[in-house]
Amino acid sequence: MLTGTNAASRWFSYIGLGIGVLLLLSSLQMFFNIQSLLKKTSIRKNGFDYVSVTKLITNDNMGQDNRFGPADVEELKQQPFIDDAAPLLSNKFEVVASGGEVIPFSSDIFIEALDHSFIDTVPPSFTWSEGQMVVPVIFSSDFLEMYNVFAPSYGLSQVSTATAGNLSITLRCEGKLGQQTFRANIVAFSDRVNSVLVPSSFLSWANKTLEGVDDTKASRVFIKTKDANSNELLQFLEQKHYRVNKDKTAFGRSKQILQGIITGLGVFGILVIILALMLFSFYLQLVIARSKDSLQLLLTLGYSPSWLSKNVARQFIPVYVFVVFFALLLTQGMQWLFHHFVMYDRPELSSFLHWSILIIALLLILLSVITNFRMVKRLLYKLY
Amino acid sequence: MVFLIIATMQLQLQQLLPVYFEQNRKASSEIWGKDLAFSKGEMIKIVAPSGSGKTSLMHFLYGMREEYTGTIKYGDKNISQFNAEDFALHRSNHISIVFQDLRLFAEQTVLENLEIKRQLNPYHTKEKIQYMANRLGIGNKLSSKARICSYGEQQRAAIIRALLQPFDFLLLDEPFSHLDNENSQKAMELMLEESRERNACIVFADLERIDYFPFTRLFYL
Repeated sequence: MLTGTNAASRWFSYIGLGIGVLLLLSSLQMFFNIQSLLKKTSIRKNGFDYVSVTKLITNDNMGQDNRFGPADVEELKQQPFIDDAAPLLSNKFEVVASGGEVIPFSSDIFIEALDHSFIDTVPPSFTWSEGQMVVPVIFSSDFLEMYNVFAPSYGLSQVSTATAGNLSITLRCEGKLGQQTFRANIVAFSDRVNSVLVPSSFLSWANKTLEGVDDTKASRVFIKTKDANSNELLQFLEQKHYRVNKDKTAFGRSKQILQGIITGLGVFGILVIILALMLFSFYLQLVIARSKDSLQLLLTLGYSPSWLSKNVARQFIPVYVFVVFFALLLTQGMQWLFHHFVMYDRPELSSFLHWSILIIALLLILLSVITNFRMVKRLLYKLY
Repeated sequence: MVFLIIATMQLQLQQLLPVYFEQNRKASSEIWGKDLAFSKGEMIKIVAPSGSGKTSLMHFLYGMREEYTGTIKYGDKNISQFNAEDFALHRSNHISIVFQDLRLFAEQTVLENLEIKRQLNPYHTKEKIQYMANRLGIGNKLSSKARICSYGEQQRAAIIRALLQPFDFLLLDEPFSHLDNENSQKAMELMLEESRERNACIVFADLERIDYFPFTRLFYL
């Protein structure tokens, strides 16, 4: 009945639809791949990212007080993309650490205190009360690594994390108001906080007792966020002239660029799909226009427009379903190849498609079928 | 729209007049501008010279055109209120027509043309097509494309097509214009049989009176 069909334009539209769907689905899958790859690289606790923020020191603000006051911390907390923020309070007095017999080495150091909920490893022994001569310390893993790098050059012995816990370290604290010596005990190592952490009760007591200050200003603030690489967060920090721990946002930048490219590809895919759908609808309009007499006669004889449109739809729906499924299958194949040969089966990725890709494919079928079905029906009603 | 099938189903014409006719046509016509009702089982003969609006009337009654004033009712429903789906239902169940211009699918075979109608709302079996075609003398033409059949053969195919569905009213618009007397009579017999079987009304419009149509009422258009 449908005469004058133009096979070429029909095939072009099918191929166009296939390419568009393939582009869209594979971009989406790549988007998910990047998401899961980058999730693994940042240090997380309970699904959050923790990063430390400092104020950017420039030649203009060098001499000023570039520390965070309570208002700054409060402002950070108010941001919707920041779940919590806590200042890293530091010592206002001099601290000299010496290693004793195993490490005959002494150095001026700094100590800091941070809210416990921000520290990745907090053993129960990480408490201090006035009168206690042993101060528990959480040491940065990076610092230990650094020490082990330069120790041989100074003729010092390298230290394992297990040994470090048993080291007897002496902390000599000296301020305007006095001097006191404590024994420090490394109770844990932190991957997250690059500092020498002591209980805040100790730090505020020592600041007050030895230096006579009760200062709440901090050079660093730790923030807790769902995504340290989110655009909103990075933009906000940039606008406030705050600086973030670099390697953690380096991922953010490359992620931004990658996501930009992938989003571009996805948008291109959507455009190709729209183009293909338009081509197919033009093709259907052409077929209907050329078969106008036959269709009109069928309507005159008593065939209903809805029955006829269903019949026309029955011819193109299986092809649409096939085209989308074929593109889905290709995307699946590409994902498997990507996971297996490019990513060497990294556990954070899957060889299979993200579930939402299947839903998108299903939605695309529905969209194309509904739009074309409605168009055919409308054209047939016009013929009536 | 639900159709209520009642025993005295009528096709009513109320003050019907094509918009392109002058009002004075009402005076000279027994149909235009009159209130009429055709009931099931009746045999209506309409004698209509050329230009009197015979084909217009048939198209109006079939619901194909709406260029008229007045009202056409099927039962108690005004057919101008029907939508496309209502008409589809109406035409496949209650009203059938033999067009003056035949209206076959030229590129389809005679059998395909008939099957298209039969499958819409099967009233007869496939075998009945062959039987009817044989009776009207086109049994050997079923596999020929409609466009290569003669007008006479096409007309007989169009007549058979109109009989393959259920109907209450059968509209005939010069159904024998391409047939000789003998073939016309055979076709008339078949149509009368089929109409009696359905207790249907035939509305037969032609240029002049035909003796072998046993009309119950006669109108001059």
